[in-house]
Amino acid sequence: MTNLTAGVLLFPLLGFVILGVTGSALPRRMILAVAWGACGLAFLLATISFFSMLGTPPAARTSDQVLYTWVVSGDFQVSFGLLFDPLSATMLMIVTGVGLLIHIYSAGYMEDDPGFWRFFSYMNFFIFAMVLLVSADNFLFLLVGWGLVGLASFLLIGFWYQRRTAVAAAQKALVINIIGDFGLMIAIFLIFRQYGVLNFYNNANGPGVFSALDPATTGNRLQLVIALCLFLACAAKSAQLPLYMWLPDAMEGPTPVSALIHAATMVTAGVYLVARAHPLFELAPTALTIIAVIGGVTALFAATIALFQLDIKRVLAYSTISQLGYMFMGEGVHNYSAGIFHLTTHAYFKALLFLAAGAVIHALGGEQDMRQMGGLRSRLRTTFWTFLVGTLAISGIPPLAGFWSKDEILSSLLAQATANHKAISYLLWGIAIVTVALTAFYMFRLFYGIFMGDYRGSGRASHAGDEEEEEPSRRTAGRFTIHEAPPIMTIPLIILAVLSIIGGLVGSFDLISLSKWRPLTAFLAPVFADVHTMATASFGVEWISTLVSVGFALLGIFAAWRLYGRGFQYKENKNPFYQLLYHKYYVDEILDAVIVQPILWFGRTAARVLEGDVLDGGSRAVAGGLRGISAGLRRLQTGYVRNYALAILIGVVLIILYYAVRG
Amino acid sequence: MPLSAYLIVSAILFTVGVVGVLIRRNPLIIFMSIELMLNAVNLSFVAISSKLDSADGQMFVFIVLTVAAAEVVVGLAIIVSIFRTRRDIDVDDMNLLRG
Amino acid sequence: MTVVQISFFVLAVASVASALGVITFKNAVHCALSLILTLLFLALFYLQLGAMFIAVVQILIYAGAIMVLFLFVVTMLASEASDTRLADRIPWQRWVAGILGLVLVGALSYLLFTGTSIDNRAVATGANSLSHVVNAQGNTEAFGQALFHGFVYPFEVTSLLIIVALLGAMVLGRKA
Repeated sequence: MTNLTAGVLLFPLLGFVILGVTGSALPRRMILAVAWGACGLAFLLATISFFSMLGTPPAARTSDQVLYTWVVSGDFQVSFGLLFDPLSATMLMIVTGVGLLIHIYSAGYMEDDPGFWRFFSYMNFFIFAMVLLVSADNFLFLLVGWGLVGLASFLLIGFWYQRRTAVAAAQKALVINIIGDFGLMIAIFLIFRQYGVLNFYNNANGPGVFSALDPATTGNRLQLVIALCLFLACAAKSAQLPLYMWLPDAMEGPTPVSALIHAATMVTAGVYLVARAHPLFELAPTALTIIAVIGGVTALFAATIALFQLDIKRVLAYSTISQLGYMFMGEGVHNYSAGIFHLTTHAYFKALLFLAAGAVIHALGGEQDMRQMGGLRSRLRTTFWTFLVGTLAISGIPPLAGFWSKDEILSSLLAQATANHKAISYLLWGIAIVTVALTAFYMFRLFYGIFMGDYRGSGRASHAGDEEEEEPSRRTAGRFTIHEAPPIMTIPLIILAVLSIIGGLVGSFDLISLSKWRPLTAFLAPVFADVHTMATASFGVEWISTLVSVGFALLGIFAAWRLYGRGFQYKENKNPFYQLLYHKYYVDEILDAVIVQPILWFGRTAARVLEGDVLDGGSRAVAGGLRGISAGLRRLQTGYVRNYALAILIGVVLIILYYAVRG
Repeated sequence: MPLSAYLIVSAILFTVGVVGVLIRRNPLIIFMSIELMLNAVNLSFVAISSKLDSADGQMFVFIVLTVAAAEVVVGLAIIVSIFRTRRDIDVDDMNLLRG
Repeated sequence: MTVVQISFFVLAVASVASALGVITFKNAVHCALSLILTLLFLALFYLQLGAMFIAVVQILIYAGAIMVLFLFVVTMLASEASDTRLADRIPWQRWVAGILGLVLVGALSYLLFTGTSIDNRAVATGANSLSHVVNAQGNTEAFGQALFHGFVYPFEVTSLLIIVALLGAMVLGRKA
């Protein structure tokens, strides 16, 4: 099996370095050549390696390649090692494939931007960091990748750094991510302390953590703490409660960034980590339950907020949070491959939705508010159809991709519920089902709001048959021609739409048990072979779950059609419930009041009191004291000779008294 | 008479001289008090010389006497040169070195 | 009570009284005269202790030369030569000085009463003894012998000192 992961890792790095150093001087074609070349080569190598893996027998599908020995300390050894197994192969394909499509799309979207070269160098850097994260073979190298993707996210969210909101959003993302990094580091410390090694599996460097685990310690407090610390990192990176606040604000970045990082790849790092470290999670069943519950609550919570948002990217952001919750729910019931499956299908349709939204924004000259849209169906045909595909996919309508992966998760949830008969498991399944309806509703609200009804904005509709004309008057005084995006942007949309349609079939097609064809699950099986506690769904359970979920999805679509089918009419709604959801449960305001303002107050007060009064005051007090002493002593210098003679006499008397007392 | 009697008289005279230096403001009277101190010490020297039956004490008195004379000469010359033109003489006027 | 004791007490009281007079009289001339009186009483002390030469030298030089010089200067300077017209700028000094004076006297007396006695080995005996020479030749001869046999060097140096003082006085005393 050829393991070309090193190339997959290094080409984007090379692209980043070249573009970073020389990019500002290169012409546009060269920049694209380097960027597309780097990402394209990465994808090519990943594909070759993937097919090579398919050609090897399942038992031999693990390859661990050490690039460079990093830390050697006695028996402990950690290196830059790349692990290539089914899980990392899947992730590599997704990252480089979707990444390449978005690189192509961005050439059109960012064409007017003066920071064109900077954008592509950051994108290449992100690809490099993400590849590093998913192919690391030990926890420490994973931590490096974890931090680097956080950095890439910061750079790309704050890409338009002259905007204060963008910089603030980037800072918010970084701060919340650091909380997660803290959790990951604590987990690594605990793992090292307990097991003495940090490699995942046994390799040339030494034994691995997962081989050293003792099943007898299941349920121990230490395992629980490790698992929860790891999940803290996942919650921060994958925007779960309570660390989700950064993702909606991250929409300040360019839309391709939102598509790549905050929909398809970076936010899925948390899901990947749970899957990769599943032996550790298996030893802490309570942690898995917590993960499932948090995933479910987050899914519902985010879906409720998305119901009434007006910014189209915000709706998609909250929908991402919601779908990530689904993935964690799947992993929480021990079905890791279901979580990964949903990760892949979500990558397709969420990237599609974001890129299509980007096409709309691009066509409207930067408009993101749904109230200014409508009736774009006739103007943006390709976008319309691809967006529809994406919306159907995310709502879970068969036979599109989203249906298969969601169904997998839902039936796992119901199977778990029927297996252990716990109320909480049933509740989780119920939450998931309700969220299906909500998802369908708000996505179709979005769809109708953008494309149906009459155009409510200030632009001028183009004539029929008018293709893209780069008129200078396009941006004059708010009136411009609305036209479809150029092919460089629409072709990736079409490709992603096709993937959203057929992508699910790769994962599983055993719905009616006609065929137990579950390629992805089978592919990932060697990785998760040690998971024995997964409840398999019986025939009846699966059918019930499927029918109920499709029914709820149709219900949601129907409700959206009734309300918004003729277009989105914005009405000011004073209902307090509506206001609560519209303002995202006032979470940001609460956090600002409870955490941010006290910290700022503390900082200001510390600066004033500690530095001003204590430190400065202390030194001033010393100076003042010395001045006082010297002023007091100065009074001895009266200038009168008689006083000085008196002083001499005092000295003499003291000496004589000393001798008198001494005897 | 025991030696200590003479020495105590000497001590008393010395102290009177010291107090005189500190109390009076007329520089001449201060100078006279200093002479008084020197004489008190002369008395001790002579008394001890008599007790020790040695001429060394009286030698010292002789030297002290001479030095006192020279000192008075120079001191009075200084006082005259400082206070020659003033109407009231007060040592406390010399206070330019106050801090 | 022997004559020596009575004379000692009388002289003691008288000299202390005139010394106190030196520091208390307001008129500078009175102070100078008081000092002359004190010097006289001290000369009588010296006589009592057997130092005849020193006694006479004291009167000749101290009372006769030095105090005359003092009186010259007193009359040359300020017309009234009194320092009570101006207010005392440091009035607290006299109290402190007084108290310290009493302390000093007390401490010195205490030390003199309880201190070690003079080492008897320091007492010169035999041919070195002063009284021996005095009995043989008289006080002045004894004094002269001691001066020119043991103290020649200080003697010569004091003559130098006197010359220097003379020059200094001439320079300082000139009108500016």
